Amino acid sequence: MKLRMTISAVLAGITLGLFATWLTVVRVVVPGGVENGPWRTDVGAGNPRGNPYTRARVALHGFLALNAGETVYYTATHDSEGRRLDGRCVYEISGHDPDARWWSITAYGRDEFLIPNPANRYSVSKTTVAREPGGVFLVQVGGADETANWIPLAPGRFSLSLRLYNPGPRVVFDPAHVVLPTLKKVSCP
Amino acid sequence: MNPRAPQLGAWLVTTLAIALLVHFGTLYALPRLVMRRALRKMGEPNSMHFGRVPTAASRMVVRPSPDILYASCPFDLSSGPLRVTANVPHSTYWSVSAFDAATNNFFVRNDREVTGDSIELLLVQRGQTLPLSDRAPEHVIVFAPSRRGVLLFRTVIDDDRHLSALEALQRQDRCETVRADPEAHRSGQVSPRLGRRAVWWRSPPASFKAAVPDHFRAY
Repeated sequence: MKLRMTISAVLAGITLGLFATWLTVVRVVVPGGVENGPWRTDVGAGNPRGNPYTRARVALHGFLALNAGETVYYTATHDSEGRRLDGRCVYEISGHDPDARWWSITAYGRDEFLIPNPANRYSVSKTTVAREPGGVFLVQVGGADETANWIPLAPGRFSLSLRLYNPGPRVVFDPAHVVLPTLKKVSCP
Repeated sequence: MNPRAPQLGAWLVTTLAIALLVHFGTLYALPRLVMRRALRKMGEPNSMHFGRVPTAASRMVVRPSPDILYASCPFDLSSGPLRVTANVPHSTYWSVSAFDAATNNFFVRNDREVTGDSIELLLVQRGQTLPLSDRAPEHVIVFAPSRRGVLLFRTVIDDDRHLSALEALQRQDRCETVRADPEAHRSGQVSPRLGRRAVWWRSPPASFKAAVPDHFRAY
């Protein structure tokens, strides 16, 4: 190969390689793990024997995540109808306590940090959520403060994390089929 | 046949080979770079760093939990093993976890796995030795796969009214390098070099012998 062709092959190879990493790890176009309704989890997080894609994704999007035996992390970026979560809309999360010693649901902005709000409210958890008779809970995400269980939002894309600390064995071994809270869009301006 | 076909083939093979190399190279390097950057931000190694309850202003680590009180101990085992002493509240979820230079979670222990009100860990690398005085039977010995990494302490804030008590408890936690003791080395009072399979020392005290394997757990 002539020098000019070699240089162009090297440049094209570097560009292609970086683009593949950006697509799979930064943009996460093909997310790993399993789906459970609007929630998605990868139980390979934190595992020293996990695959390199999971390790790189967790380093960028869930740094210092515990392994699945200790904590299972579910993330939602879309609602139950498959539409991307939008901070201008109002959503409702409902369900019973998931199978874990302790759980929490937290909203994060597009930058993956907590969403600033005057009330400094970012999450609900097993120990702070208000329950209806029968143990079911309803959480309002976004909109104005109308309920005891309220997570405020700001305009723009957002995502939710459902953390299950000391999860039950079914969560660890069959995370796609355990019963999790539902996430529905209520209204949009 | 197009006379340029072999050249095109060589170009494609070279491009693909370099693309694969760059792709897997960056996959390998990314977690290590993220950890290195985080360790730099966390501050002095082998000492405790106590955080405040995360808010929207917390920018150290992505996706922090606002219901958890975090403390960290970035470690660097190049000057010796690390001794960690931590209080364990049993009223709420608590854990200590260790992450290596590639961000792998190689060790975790929670409050339900600790019987007493505190835990002592010795974080060592293979080939290191410990003064015998530092090998009490109740120590948990953890093998670190890399010289550098971080220990993270999590305490769930189950109720805001418990925050100050949980914070006060966490602030007593300690991590420090176990300094090489020249006197112990001269008198032979050190363990042999530690390895995952053969962890032993000269003349183990009777109390330790009796405790094996119940209290001695190597990871």
